[in-house]
Amino acid sequence: MSGPLEGLRVVELCDQLGQLAGKLLADMGADVVKVEPAEGSGARAVGPFVDDVAGPNRSLNFWYHNTNKRSVVLDLVTEAGATAWKELVAKADIVIDDRPPRWLDDHGLGYSQLSEGHAALLWCSITPFGETGPWANYQATDMVGLALGGPMKMNGYDQDDVPGAPPIRGLGDQGYNTACHYAVQGVLAALLYRDKTGLGQHVDASMHEALSSTTEVGLPYWFTRRTNVTRQTGRHAAAQRTEPWLHMANDGQHTLIFGVGRDNATWTKIKRWWQESGFGQQLDEARFDDPAARQPGRGSPEAAEVMNVLSAFIGAHTAEEVYRGGQERRQSWGVVRAPDEAIQDPHWSDRGFWAEVTGEGRDAPVRLPGAPYQFSATPWALRRPAPKLGEHTAEVISEWLGR
Amino acid sequence: MPDLPLSGIRVCDLTWVIAGPTATRVLADFGADVIRVEHGQAVDPIRLGRPLNADKPTLNNSGFFNYFNRNKRSILLNVRHPLGMELLHKLIAASDVVIENFSSGVLDSWELSYEAQKAINPGIIYCSISGYGHNGRDKHFTTWGPTAQALSGLTMMSGLAGEPPAGWGYSYMDHTAGYYGAIAIMMALHHKNLTGEGQHIDISQVEAGMILAGPAILDFTVNGRSFRRPGMPPGNHAWEPAMAPHNTYRCRGEDRWVAIAVRNDAEWQAMARAMGDPDWAADAKFATLAGRLANQDELDAQISAWSSSRDDYAVMATLQAGGVPAGVCQSPGDRVENDEQFRARGWWSTMPHPEMGDESQFDGVAPRLSATPGTNRTASPLIGEHTFQIMAEVLGLTDDEIAEHEAMGVFM
Repeated sequence: MSGPLEGLRVVELCDQLGQLAGKLLADMGADVVKVEPAEGSGARAVGPFVDDVAGPNRSLNFWYHNTNKRSVVLDLVTEAGATAWKELVAKADIVIDDRPPRWLDDHGLGYSQLSEGHAALLWCSITPFGETGPWANYQATDMVGLALGGPMKMNGYDQDDVPGAPPIRGLGDQGYNTACHYAVQGVLAALLYRDKTGLGQHVDASMHEALSSTTEVGLPYWFTRRTNVTRQTGRHAAAQRTEPWLHMANDGQHTLIFGVGRDNATWTKIKRWWQESGFGQQLDEARFDDPAARQPGRGSPEAAEVMNVLSAFIGAHTAEEVYRGGQERRQSWGVVRAPDEAIQDPHWSDRGFWAEVTGEGRDAPVRLPGAPYQFSATPWALRRPAPKLGEHTAEVISEWLGR
Repeated sequence: MPDLPLSGIRVCDLTWVIAGPTATRVLADFGADVIRVEHGQAVDPIRLGRPLNADKPTLNNSGFFNYFNRNKRSILLNVRHPLGMELLHKLIAASDVVIENFSSGVLDSWELSYEAQKAINPGIIYCSISGYGHNGRDKHFTTWGPTAQALSGLTMMSGLAGEPPAGWGYSYMDHTAGYYGAIAIMMALHHKNLTGEGQHIDISQVEAGMILAGPAILDFTVNGRSFRRPGMPPGNHAWEPAMAPHNTYRCRGEDRWVAIAVRNDAEWQAMARAMGDPDWAADAKFATLAGRLANQDELDAQISAWSSSRDDYAVMATLQAGGVPAGVCQSPGDRVENDEQFRARGWWSTMPHPEMGDESQFDGVAPRLSATPGTNRTASPLIGEHTFQIMAEVLGLTDDEIAEHEAMGVFM
């Protein structure tokens, strides 16, 4: 078994918005055929590129989001291409597309036509705002999605730290990612319904709705108190100003400190650790023994003093020392790493997290993240790297259509 | 009740805080019978979490809890009591899925490792969500959402160059680890439908974060270029693909902003028209992407001068009418009160709750399934609201047995 979705046939017609959805299915065993125009999916033009040289098979964005898929080139606006599309869909269990709303239906190639006589067909359309409504045809990029969906207004800086700073977009196409997380949830729920009834259906996956559902206390505060939370530097947006979580260590890297010694057993360990390197001798005073008084949210003089000692201690150590020392004393502290710096941390290799691929310009395997879950009975596997443009056109036509 | 995609699936929900309850919210929205197992001596802190619908917490008046726990049922069970643990075993035997997001090792200390669960229920699907996963040298380390965001690189990928990281203003990785939990469980349910086989799914919240930073990691492993370098992160300027203009622009009013992303020369020309073809926009240095990138600060200043006296929704509508991607940076209140798209699609609804009011508010279920959409059926459960009901209906206890267990302190 190469994954829990082995045996499922998926046709994917996706660009940057929807490509992660296909990857999540392909990585867990589905046979995902990516249909592309002759010039290739738009994601093939997205950098960074191998050696910074652009080319349809050199996009690292494409390498990452298209593992385990096969590539078939079809020109949907020609008769031959449209016919092959219909034939592939007829053989598919699932279709995922991220074309503009109604584009495929208007060309006679969408769910409304191709589900005719194919009751088991399950079809997910991923769009920025959903298939209906006044914004259905609005244009969006990842950032525009993150703006309207709500995440951006909650990310940014205290106005004292960076006066006039705007809401900030976190990088990594997180709007597209969240849209795909919801799309796949819908596809799998519909698949489970099909398992018991044999019936497929259409899934309307809106990035806007997915993102708005991914803002934690933002909506609860509005629903319950009619209050908007306010963005703050490097920590949660909140209804009231809270204490900083980011503290710079002596190597210029930031630690993330979220709570200090919430119970007295861990507090004693933390205190001893600081005191052994010459910080916070006064913390033995009885007024620090009340856990509640030590927590920053309380605004007590003790809490402020603990934070001052903490800052001084961190400023005299490396971020990694603070992170590991805190974790060894049961503090959920972190270090602000660049995404690539996790490669140096052996814990993830212990777990076998990393996978390896080769591709145009790199014959020796390079690492990339594996899967976000470990399945004991049906583990994921990297069966093939992202396909070269049109690499499998003949193979898939032969295998799926028998010619 | 209509047949929902997950009707008939029972989930023994041992989760708390946010990541686990996010996963079970998804399963519950699609029809699973999610039974929260709660403990009076160690309550889910989110039951005390602000915002509250009153001045003091009661365990049942948190808007935070209500949002993440709709459509679920709740039992109080004292698992430190041998009879409480016995009932938990019975619930596992009657469930399709067990899910927890304790620190790694907690379920082992309850003697409920996957092997032990399998002995109770051979087809069980057991999903664990923890910071570092259940194996590896640092498996005893722990996280909150923000810790996972910091360690996976997501915090550093958000901010203005030369400033500390802005990071994420909420626990993005609690949501996302929960989404991967729901996805994994549904994949495992499909496999079980075909084979009858269950399994253990182990999720690390930090790994789930690294999954969201793939291209940046490949840029290092392929090109040797770390994300930690001058000029990164680039604020709201585009990283890849290159675009300009691509930023947030101040609008009229307090803290009002619109995000504008111009993907190509045609969209730039459309934007110039939408702004009324000002003389500065006709400058040849802005005609190409290379020129706009080279002169990006001047471009941003000119656009800000245009937008800052205008209403943000009007700027968005004007640009979108010309086919230019633009969107207001919406606050939660904007989304609920001002967003025409959500309103037209019926995104907001209410359900009654004894302490949150007759009209406690909720958002809808994404995405929308045409034949069997997920539904909002009940607001969040009161703590222990369904204890007796589930003991009788699901575990088959008689009234006398329930009374005996209660008298012995099992339901607390």
